[in-house]
Amino acid sequence: MNFKNSTALILSAVLALSVVAGCKKKEEAPKAEAPKAAGDTIKIGFLGALTGDVAMFGKPTLEGMKMAAEDLNAAGGVLGKKIEIVEADNRGDKQEGASVTQKLISRDNVIAIVGDPTTGITKVAAPIAQKAGVLLISAGATGPGVVENGDFIFRNTLLDSVAIPACIDYFANELKYKKVAIITSDNNDYSVGFSQTFRDAAKGKGIEIVADEKVKDGDKDFSGQVTNIKAKKPDVIFFSGYYTEGALIMKEARKQGVKANMFGGDGLFSPEFIKLGGTAAEGSMSALGFAPEQASPETAKFIEAFKKKFNGALPGLFDAQGYDGVMMIADAIKRANSTDPKVFKTAMASTKNFLGVSGTITIRANREPIKTPLCLLAVKDGKFVLKAKVPVKMD
Amino acid sequence: MGDFLQQIVGYINPYYLQILVNIGIGIILALGLNVITGLTGQLSLGHAAFMSIGAFTSALLTIKLGMPFGINLILTGFITAAVAALIGLPILRLTGDYLAICTLGFAEIVKVVFLNLDITNRALGLTVPAAATSIPMPIVVWGVVLLTIICVTFIHNSRFGRALMAVRGDEIAAEAMGINVTLYKVQSFALGAFIAGVGGGLYAHFMGYINPSDFGFLKSVDILSMVVLGGLGSITGSVIGATILSAAPEFLRFMASYRMLVYGGLLVCMMIFRPNGLMGNVSFTGLVLRALGRKPHLKKIMEQKISETSRSGNGDT
Repeated sequence: MNFKNSTALILSAVLALSVVAGCKKKEEAPKAEAPKAAGDTIKIGFLGALTGDVAMFGKPTLEGMKMAAEDLNAAGGVLGKKIEIVEADNRGDKQEGASVTQKLISRDNVIAIVGDPTTGITKVAAPIAQKAGVLLISAGATGPGVVENGDFIFRNTLLDSVAIPACIDYFANELKYKKVAIITSDNNDYSVGFSQTFRDAAKGKGIEIVADEKVKDGDKDFSGQVTNIKAKKPDVIFFSGYYTEGALIMKEARKQGVKANMFGGDGLFSPEFIKLGGTAAEGSMSALGFAPEQASPETAKFIEAFKKKFNGALPGLFDAQGYDGVMMIADAIKRANSTDPKVFKTAMASTKNFLGVSGTITIRANREPIKTPLCLLAVKDGKFVLKAKVPVKMD
Repeated sequence: MGDFLQQIVGYINPYYLQILVNIGIGIILALGLNVITGLTGQLSLGHAAFMSIGAFTSALLTIKLGMPFGINLILTGFITAAVAALIGLPILRLTGDYLAICTLGFAEIVKVVFLNLDITNRALGLTVPAAATSIPMPIVVWGVVLLTIICVTFIHNSRFGRALMAVRGDEIAAEAMGINVTLYKVQSFALGAFIAGVGGGLYAHFMGYINPSDFGFLKSVDILSMVVLGGLGSITGSVIGATILSAAPEFLRFMASYRMLVYGGLLVCMMIFRPNGLMGNVSFTGLVLRALGRKPHLKKIMEQKISETSRSGNGDT
């Protein structure tokens, strides 16, 4: 009997907990739903992870989107309507990503979605948005096979296929690099795609690939790969994976006396890279679409506002891209003078030299974005500092 | 026919449809694992590997051959079952923890192989085109769910099913009664894998994009939780377990960041207060008959008694 009593006790505790949790949300809910009845809001959905492994991409994207909505609403909204951001967490899970996309479209009636910051979930969400006729702009997906899903699908990231040729030109012409060693993490989709882009872009640029080594995410010992690379004497080591492995590779390289620095994408751009690598990380470079230094007037304004809102913290790439995602949608709606996705998607496709906070964005005929400039950051005295802003050729 | 079904599906809100399909795929996978773990008592921690093999096989059959979806699914099932039989022969001689570790290792091998094959597009994954069928996916999925339920119910009550339960109860005793234990274990493994392969094929075509990393250890644990939550060996239990666990993340969405906490809490409470699972030791047909005011058939009661005793004799798994 005692057992039954405790059952009841715990079950009621769970119930009470869920009621409390439910109430908290409900207090906010009416506020969000009131304007909907009046029909004077434009709803934009956020698709991304707020919890889980990839929340570090999702959270800043949402922060950036909310800032954009505040800025637009403070200026009187778009076509006289207020912008409202509808958020839902997908935990970085593909199945949930699909459910959330359906929910945003059919329950919340959003006209556009910003997200997901990762390529995998964007690929799952894109066919759903395309079929439903809702515009989707990914603020972070860099892999192939995203905008190919249809004419409602866009993205505003600096693509590897755009960034890498610009980088290689800079290496060949400014830094006079001749030999490069490639390291790929072959259980990481981002790394595999990134390395392929690099190989393709390096063709005919006077840079020779002297080594092409493979590692795995989660590996700790890289002595074999580094020994192979050392024998080939490269000018630079291109590593397409993430910061943990990158830092450990550099440690091993310095231990074996390799002089060449590492170069990689935004996967290397993390304080952890410097923390793990220590002095071995010095000189390593990361190519990014955003850096707070040498800001354009638009970016400077954004950085100021961001600092004010988040106690002096500097915005990152995903904050800026989330902000731009909403701003580009607003811009397209204004130019099309319509909130119908079928109409403003055409305006979005003709976006030209849009002055975003993450760079100047043009949508090309194949709906892929092209952005300038590319920021090349290098580790100096234990910090990532801007080494160069490399202009990207706009066609 | 296709247009008519499309119309019916069109009446349902796409969001609910999405959840329904997630539930359907969950049920298929759980029923597959229930044959291996619930009915035969072989703890497998690598069920997602069979789902993965099914997903990639089915996707490739559509991409490379444009095969009609029905044939595609059946062929996928057979290929997955063949792989399971092949791997099952050596590892099913192990029991308990050792088998669990082996299946875990097998799942990792499958993942690494797919990550390194050119045909599966390595770590970039495959974009899967629409299935070659005029019937809408939700109806295909639920059709397969019904077929699977009917199929495993028949197996449950067949000579084959009783042999599997005997293996679960006591392998030595079963062998003494003339049951070829290894053969039956491999058959149940292959059958569970067949169902998982079909489930994987449906998942691949419904999601439209698959990646080897989707089918990791956590996915296997998800499926195992469905079976354990529902009650090992119970078909109704697997269906209910899969329904609850597939739908919970969506229905708990109103709690925002608390939802995974409550989800975990539910699992813990469940295991404390009903260690045999929701439908463990409960005869569904008996319940229905009693609700209708009739007494369950004597044979059913006997069967339930037998399965109870065999379960208690196998308390360590």
